[in-house]
Order: sequence, then C-alpha cells, then structure tokens
Amino acid sequence: MKARVRRWLEEGTVDVFIGYRQVDGHPLPYCFTRENLDALDGLINSPARYALEKIATHLASRQPDLKIGILSLDTNRRALNVLGIWNQINPENITTVDADDAASGVATPDDMRTFEPVVPGPYKQQVGIDNAMSPADAEAFDQSERFSRWMYEFEKCIKCYGCRNICPVCFCRECSLEHRDLIGTGPLPPDVPIFHLVRAVHMAGRCIDCGLCEEACPADISLRLLYRKVNQILDNVFEYQTGSDPGQPPFSLLGNQVTLEPKPLDADK
Amino acid sequence: MTNSIAEIEDAGCIFIIGSNTTACHPLIARRVYRAKEKGAKLIVADPRRIQLSRFADVAVQHRLGSDVALLNGMMHLIIANGWQAADYIQERTEDYAELEKTVREYTPEKVAAITGVSVDDIQHMAEIYATNSPAALLYAMGITQHTTGVDNVKSCCNLAMLCGNVGVAGGGVNPLRGQNNVQGACDMGGLPNVYSGYQLVNDIKSNEKFAKAWGRPLPDKPGLPVTAMIPAMLEGKLKALYVIGENPKLSDPDRNHLNHALEKLDFLLVQDIFLSETAQAADVVLAACSMAEKEGTFTNTERRCMRIRKAIDPLADTLPDWQILCRLSSALGYEMNYADPEAIFNEMAALTPSYAGMTYARLGLDGLQWPCPNADHPGTPYLHRHQFARGKGKFHAIGFLEPAELPDDEFPYFLTTGRMFAHFHTGTMTRISPNLNVEQTTGYVEIHPDDALAEEIRDGDMLTIASRRGEMEAPARITPTVRPGTLFLPMHFGENPTNILTSAEALDPIAKIPEFKVSAVKIRKFSEQMGKIPEETGAADPVEADAAAGSR
Amino acid sequence: MECELVPSVCSYCGTGCGVLFEVIDKELAGTLPMKTHPVNEGKLCIKGWNLHEHINSPLRLKQPLVRSFGRFLKTGWDEAIAIAARRFREIIDQYGPESVGVLVSAKITNEENYLAMKLARAVLGTNSVDHCARL
Repeated sequence: MKARVRRWLEEGTVDVFIGYRQVDGHPLPYCFTRENLDALDGLINSPARYALEKIATHLASRQPDLKIGILSLDTNRRALNVLGIWNQINPENITTVDADDAASGVATPDDMRTFEPVVPGPYKQQVGIDNAMSPADAEAFDQSERFSRWMYEFEKCIKCYGCRNICPVCFCRECSLEHRDLIGTGPLPPDVPIFHLVRAVHMAGRCIDCGLCEEACPADISLRLLYRKVNQILDNVFEYQTGSDPGQPPFSLLGNQVTLEPKPLDADK
Repeated sequence: MTNSIAEIEDAGCIFIIGSNTTACHPLIARRVYRAKEKGAKLIVADPRRIQLSRFADVAVQHRLGSDVALLNGMMHLIIANGWQAADYIQERTEDYAELEKTVREYTPEKVAAITGVSVDDIQHMAEIYATNSPAALLYAMGITQHTTGVDNVKSCCNLAMLCGNVGVAGGGVNPLRGQNNVQGACDMGGLPNVYSGYQLVNDIKSNEKFAKAWGRPLPDKPGLPVTAMIPAMLEGKLKALYVIGENPKLSDPDRNHLNHALEKLDFLLVQDIFLSETAQAADVVLAACSMAEKEGTFTNTERRCMRIRKAIDPLADTLPDWQILCRLSSALGYEMNYADPEAIFNEMAALTPSYAGMTYARLGLDGLQWPCPNADHPGTPYLHRHQFARGKGKFHAIGFLEPAELPDDEFPYFLTTGRMFAHFHTGTMTRISPNLNVEQTTGYVEIHPDDALAEEIRDGDMLTIASRRGEMEAPARITPTVRPGTLFLPMHFGENPTNILTSAEALDPIAKIPEFKVSAVKIRKFSEQMGKIPEETGAADPVEADAAAGSR
Repeated sequence: MECELVPSVCSYCGTGCGVLFEVIDKELAGTLPMKTHPVNEGKLCIKGWNLHEHINSPLRLKQPLVRSFGRFLKTGWDEAIAIAARRFREIIDQYGPESVGVLVSAKITNEENYLAMKLARAVLGTNSVDHCARL
C-alpha cells in the first residue's frame, strides 16, 4: 500500500497524501509529498481520529486543482461525499485509501498513545444523557425529564465551539452560532438550549455521524446523539441519508419538483 | 499543583474556592465535570455564582475576603465531629495543637456572621470534604490576590492536611496558574530571592554555585518584588526597567500611581510581540517573535515541562526572546552564545536539581513533571508522597483578618475583579483575535438586580465606578451571579481599566501580592455626569486613549 | 503545496494543553487540539482553538522601535540593542546595579526566563527580578 501511495505521488495521481505518522509515541496527521517520498516509510494508521478531510478542504480552498489522497475510514468517506455535494472539494481530485482494509498494509503501531472515548459515569446516567444511548432511549424519558436531562448536558457547555471547529462538514464562513441576534454573548454557559439547538438544526443534511464533535467536547455533551436524531428526522421525512451517496444533491431535500433552473415566465399560463 | 490534572477525575471530593474554573481553566474544569459524573462530590465557594456552582453538592457565595473564616469554620466542625485524619496528623504533621486551639474559636455561628454563609451550608461543606477522600482542593487568584493571600493559602493547606489529603493521588492543594508559563518563570528564578529551582540568592552555597557557573560574582541580597519596584521608581531609586512580555500598565494595581512611576524612570526597555500599553511608554521597544516561531519549553500548572516547536519563521524583523537576550548580554560585555534553546535548557538543567533529569529527547510530546532529579526518574505526578519536602507538614494557626478596605458610607460597594471566558489577562492577545473579541467587545460591570433596582440602573447603562484611587466607566450588566452589594469587573479591557480602582498599597505582607479581589467603590450613572469635561473624569490621557483604541 | 501539523503547547492559561498548529505553505492556518495529549485529550477551550489568531494579527510588532523626541522610529537590531546596552551601562555606572529592575515573563519559555534571570543577576548585577505571578 505504501508502494501504491509512493507510485501515486511519483506519477502525479496525487500531489499530497494525508495520513498519519508517529511522533514521540503519538499519532499525528501528516501530509506526504513527492518532495519527501522516504517519509512514507513512517505512514501509519491511527487509533486517534483527526478530520483529515477538513485539512483537505483547507488545501483545496487555497489550490482548487490540487490532487489529494486521504487515508480514509468510513466516516471520512461520508464526509467527503457531503463536502463534494456542497462544493467544498472536487471529488475528481480526491483519491482515498481504505484504512480499515486489513489488506491496505498500513499498520497501527502497538506502542502508540491512543484516544479513550467517554465512559459515562453513574451521576451522568442519573441526571444527564448517556453518550451511548440511542435516540429512542433518550426519547423514552417523559418530556420534563428529557428536558432537564438535556439541560444538564447543555449547561456544562464552556462555549469552546470545538464541536463546530472540529466538524469536517462545518465550513460556513459566517456561522449562526456567532449571530448576536440569535445567541447572546458574554456569560457562561452560552444561551441554553438555543446554542446547541441552533447547531443541531444546522447539522441536518450535513452530519455524517463521525462523532468527532463529541470527542472534542470538553464537557462530554451527548452531541452525537442530538445530531443523529436530527438526521433521523431527515431520513423519515425526506428519505435523505446524509453522506451515503456522493451523487445526492442537497436540494433533493425539498423534493424532486424543486430545481435551481429558472422557471419559465409563462409557466403559470 | 501538588497533584496532577488527570488525577482530579479520581477524587472523592473536589473543593473549589476562588477559581472560576470553566472560564479561566476550562480544560481543568473538564476533569471536575468528569469526576462529578463518576460520583465525586463537588463543593464550590466563590463570591460569585459561577458556572460550576450549578453542578455542586454545596455552592456558597461567601463574602469577599472571608476565606480564612470560612476555612477555619470548616475545620472547627471537622474536629468537633472527629472527622480529621488522626493517624496522618500524628505521623506526618506538626503544630496541630495550635491549629486546634485557633479554629476552636470559629464556631459555625461566628463564621456564618462573618461570611454570610449559612450554618447548614458550612456543616455540609465540612462533612462532604472530610468524608469523601481523597479530596482535591482547587484554588486560583480568588485565594491569593488578597492582603491575606498567604494566610488564605496556608488555611487551604491546613484543611487539606487535617483530612490527610496531601501526598495522596487525587487529593492535594492545587493552585491553578493563570499564565501558561508562570510556573516555569518561578521555577527558572524569575523572582527576587531565588535562582532556578528555588535556590536562594542569599544562601552562600547556591550563590557560589551560580557565580562559578556563570563566571561572575553575584549580588547576595534579595532584590525588589514588582510591587516594591513601583515605590522605588517613585523615590528615584529604580532608574531603569527592562520589561519582557508583560503589560504592567494594565495588570499592576493602581494605574495612576504606576503611570507616574514609569514617567520617573530614566530608561524603560520593553520587549513584546505587541505595542502594549506598557510598550507605548517605552524608550526602546524590542520586537520579539511569537511562541509559534521559536523552540523552547513551558511548564504548566501541574509542573509538567513540555516542548513547544517552531511552526513558522519569525515575522518580519522580529527575533526569539532568547536571541534578543543573548544579543543584549553580549552588548553589555558578557558574551552569550547558544546554538539553540536546547543548549540553554541543558545549562539550566545542570544547575537546577528539580529539572536535572530532563532533556529535550526525554520530554517528547508528553513532557515530564518535576521533580525529575536524574535521567532515569519518571517525573513526579504528585508531591509529598511519603513525606513533606520540609519533613513534617506544618500547621499554621491562622486567625481571620478583614481585607484592607471594606465598604463604608462613602464607598458602599464591594468590588472584585477577574477574567471572562473568551479573554485573557490584559487582553493584548485575545482582543485582537476576531473569534474571541466577538464574544465580548467591551468591558462591563456586573451588578445584582436588587442593587440595580435601588440605583435605578438598567442593563447596559454606563456607570461611573469610583474608588479612593480613581474612577472609570463601564456599562452595567445586571446579573444575579454577584451578591447584592458586590460588583465584578473583568480585567481585560484597557479602556475600562480595573487597575484605576484597585490599590497598590493593599499588599500581602509576605507575598507582596495586591488585593485585586477586594476594593470599596461607589457607583453613579454616567449620564448624570454628562457635560463634565474629560479631564475631570479621571480618564487616561487622550494620546494614550487613542493608542489603545488603535490596538483593537 | 506544503502542509504540516506542528505539535506545541497553548500559551494562554497554565493548564498547558497540547495543540497542533496547521501550517500551510509556511502560514499559520489554524489550531487543533492534540488528540492524545495527556493534559487535554483532544479538547480545547475557545482561546486554545483560536491560538493562531493573535500570532497572525496585523498589529504584531515587526521591528524594534526607538523613541526620539516623543515619537517611535523604526530601527534595526544593532541600533536598538546598542542603545539599550548603553543606557543600562550609563545608569549602572552612575547609580549602581540596584537602580535596575527586570520583569521577566510568564509568557516566554523556560530557556528565556533562565537567560533573563542570568542577565539580570550576572550581567546587570541586580536581584530585582520579578514577573506577574501575583497579578
């Protein structure tokens, strides 16, 4: 596999390959280029996930014709689908390598630091929303209890914007979370629950359930569950499975009758 | 910190006093959340109702400056109920009898009267802290920035030792340091009385050791702390000041006093990455590069020494601080030639026992926690494990003293100062960061709804706040997070400088730390003062105000 | 196109969170939390996430400045250092080393604090060295 990436770089199939390498025992994202092919010996798979495709969008925004290879998990590929649909990358310029394919030959070193996901403690299970719950479990609480449990989670928020910043499919230049008429500024926690619900609404048709937001949340808020619920509604109502298909245009959300083609002036006659 | 950040998660009880942790040390607050969710008890004592108060088993808002009374009250009840760690006290500590005698006077009723905290709450705090070990005590500037700062810290230590919480994983007395490398600056001897590793300048052995290593005779009398430098400038004894990466014009107490002192200097040299308020007053400004443009190490609040790495080249004609220092030293006739920061680190480590086992290679990305005395030592996650650094842990019997200034008829409000979540210290770094500035673009003063009602103040009204030192303006933010009779001002905003109001004379007698957390002030609506000529409002001089406006 | 993720440590509060600077073509494009760092485990606060912004600020000083008749003039390093050294020397010669004070910084590195302390004590000859730990 390393030989394949090397050949891609040499032949110009890709200009840069985004994977991981080990630095002092830590897996860190690394961009391999043809100027330094020997570095490829250090290409590894990482148990700690970074949004490699977000790095790809940053590169593509600077150099739109750049050909980018990415060491990808299932979540990275779903994110790339969404980013392609929303014109943040050109899918033709992206080549992926399957990281979870055992045959890929990219090893995960044993002696490396890993990332431990949240294990909800008993108090959180008692008063909050367990990160491991399904949307159905979370909805089983009666309305007032559900509200108080979610509010417990939201009130922990320290407004780091990490959920947005880490998100591979958050790319808006102007963000509603910073809209002063929508969400006040100044105190902590931020306006709850509006801050989190505004973000949840904006995750409709975007969230690919990678869970990076939850891993980045200093307060362990059950964000993944919240956004999963939003996308469940989207699936139920519009039969839209976010990120599943690179060809699915975002506007199919509104049904097949809606197009961006200008309507003929005599359409109503 | 005696203990490590990660250990907080495994505490049985966390007692936070004088730290607004979610705003000022958010990634330590994360460990508090985690501990709480794992089942730990949480006690919060802060004059303001902070975010963590919402999650506490007991949250109290004690009166400003009443920390010693509150802590003594807890100890009184712990001893009265026999919850103290008798074996630990016997084996590992001394002077317990005096402590017991002193805290005996601090009955719950007396403490309730001083602190404004109910007897019930004091009882809960004492019981929860004493019966859920290990208990980690976390504090920040809310404990230290008082005339009784040292007393406050010693009282925290008394409480922790009383329940056997020092020298155990998940316990400890944990000051949360406010600046990324304030621990390192202290460790490196950035203090008037010590070399690196807290080796005393007036100890003959260490003086000789450093004199020999550096090839120069060294002064053996401790120098002036910053709070004594200002009077020395005014008296004409201190003629030249070299300020590196600091902005005392906003961070030091009593700004009017300080401006006057800086004017008296013959020479002010400032080295910074921005033209800060202080740099604007300099004779020469040395342009340093940022932390992303150089190599080196920082030591965090849990004593973890970690490497920073050069990400980009220095901007324009700027230099890393270490290169500037080398050039200046060489120009003063003492050649300093280092190939890189690693060479400096190795020289320092050889002279500093607590860092002696560290090398850049060993630090890696995780860093090492001092003491790390030799090359095989794994570092020290928590201190005082088997015995205290000084042998036996010493109890200090401490009585409660009032702050230097209390509200009176003329200045009826308590004022306290601090930080808000999106800004940092004097704002030089955060106010020019668009994503941070958008969260809070101006200063403000927090006032309780009852006071606002009584003073007929509406949210956003511009208030003039005056102390015995000076006066300044800030818009009102009406919030129940402060107690009635108490105001809160964030310190980040140069155009609403809190240090116009605070006192340079109210210092802790030992630590010389100013009492930023307690002043007496009066307020009036700014509109009443309309038509007053600017000079009389005590605002900073117009040239400086312009410059400050330009730096936003 | 070059892109590198350089590990470093946040320079705001004393927590010491591990960050990665995203450097694209020698420009600081962003800050990420280091996922496996022992202090912050892949999380940051609002200040940490925006650590690169103050470094990229157009208000950064770009060269040394010297005050002349009340105004700042841009200058080079040789002149700035020469003036500073001369003024310190003159003041020490006239009033003694105790007339000089040095404020080191909780923002600069250990190496730099060590050098600043060494400069104060061995070169300027004063123990009046302090920083803002109290403030």
